Amino acid sequence: MTATAPATPLLEARALRFHRQDEPVFGPLDFRLHAGELTLIEGDNGSGKTTLMRLLTGLLRTEHGELLWRGEPLRHERCAGEVVFLGHQLGLKAELSPRENLRVAIGLYGRREGPDIDAALARVGLAGYGDEAVRRLSAGQKKRAALARLLLVPAVLWLLDEPYANLDRTGIELVNRLLEAHVAAGGAALVTSHGAVSFHGGAPQRIRMHG
Amino acid sequence: MSRAPLSRACAALLRRDLVLAWRQRGDIALPVLYALIVATLFPFALGPDLALLQRIAGGVVLLTVLLAMLLALDGLFRGDLEDGSLEQLVLSPQPLAPMLGMKILAHWLTTALPLIVIAPLLASLLHLPAAAMPALLLALLLATPLVSLLGAVLVALTAGTRRSGMLLALMLLPLCVPVMIFAAGALAAAQQGLPWTAPIAWLGAALALAVVLAPLACAAALRIALDA
Repeated sequence: MTATAPATPLLEARALRFHRQDEPVFGPLDFRLHAGELTLIEGDNGSGKTTLMRLLTGLLRTEHGELLWRGEPLRHERCAGEVVFLGHQLGLKAELSPRENLRVAIGLYGRREGPDIDAALARVGLAGYGDEAVRRLSAGQKKRAALARLLLVPAVLWLLDEPYANLDRTGIELVNRLLEAHVAAGGAALVTSHGAVSFHGGAPQRIRMHG
Repeated sequence: MSRAPLSRACAALLRRDLVLAWRQRGDIALPVLYALIVATLFPFALGPDLALLQRIAGGVVLLTVLLAMLLALDGLFRGDLEDGSLEQLVLSPQPLAPMLGMKILAHWLTTALPLIVIAPLLASLLHLPAAAMPALLLALLLATPLVSLLGAVLVALTAGTRRSGMLLALMLLPLCVPVMIFAAGALAAAQQGLPWTAPIAWLGAALALAVVLAPLACAAALRIALDA
């Protein structure tokens, strides 16, 4: 995988630290992420995984250290459209159906070549639930509906915050398969997790955060 | 891969908010019901003095509609903030200000427009002279989007805080005063048979300014609210 990686990494962190009211949350962290790579962020509850994710999306401002996107300082305008974020809040409207939610996501983010909404729903195991209100789906099914968004929008970098939460065994397998396919297609992904995760596509890079 | 054009993103967001409002139509009915109740109770409180009612009718309708709008204003960004839709919107490759403009437009269409539709009914309940009706409707058509836009900026500013309702009401009061003065000025002039285009033109000018600036201010304020 690294043989084809370009010289400038997609995302690079240099001495990245984060303080909340002078209280250190994590850091300093150094890592590089190239296209075609998968990185796991591991840490206990409260070790700052979600905070790191929000920094990487640009929702939080980087105050200590540097974050580079394709070699230049990360700013929202520079990486917009190339990054998709899936956090604890799934960004689904409870009163709309998965199909309607995905249609809005495509309207905002654009559409990747490949599966249409029905195919994406079938792939995440929601065939037949496309027109049910999200409010009536289980927590795991909501997560799957949010995962379908990853298949539909064009993005190079996936930032997934605890994608395994609420998922059953087949759901976990599904996330792993989606990640493998994305990485094999030249995408990159950062995934946080507090549990042990196994990938079939080789050993991913690991970032260990200390709580 | 295809990037989403701005027009399609605007349409998708507007459609989403309108569908959401339709699925929760009980929430739309509340301000309308409130305005009806207030306008119905006024004559009972003041007594059946026709001259008095005619004199205050315009102001009462204006005030009722503006207050009813405030009922729904608080929830403008709350749902999106709670379910993570706002994060997805901010992270999307679209410029944030026009997107928020669409949200404000959808909010105005679902809260203020029903109120404007029933405004003639409220006005006739209070015996507003028919000659003043065009001035009332025009004033409402300009004043309500202005309040929506100004209110949206304040809602965005207080979005991160808990129990923002009180703070919002306090901050919105001074901004509503000039809107109210110009709208009421147009109505009073129309009732006395004087030309009433000048105050209406002032409202229009303020609206034009707010349409451009308020979404930008909203976008900046919401980015700050999410950066916490």
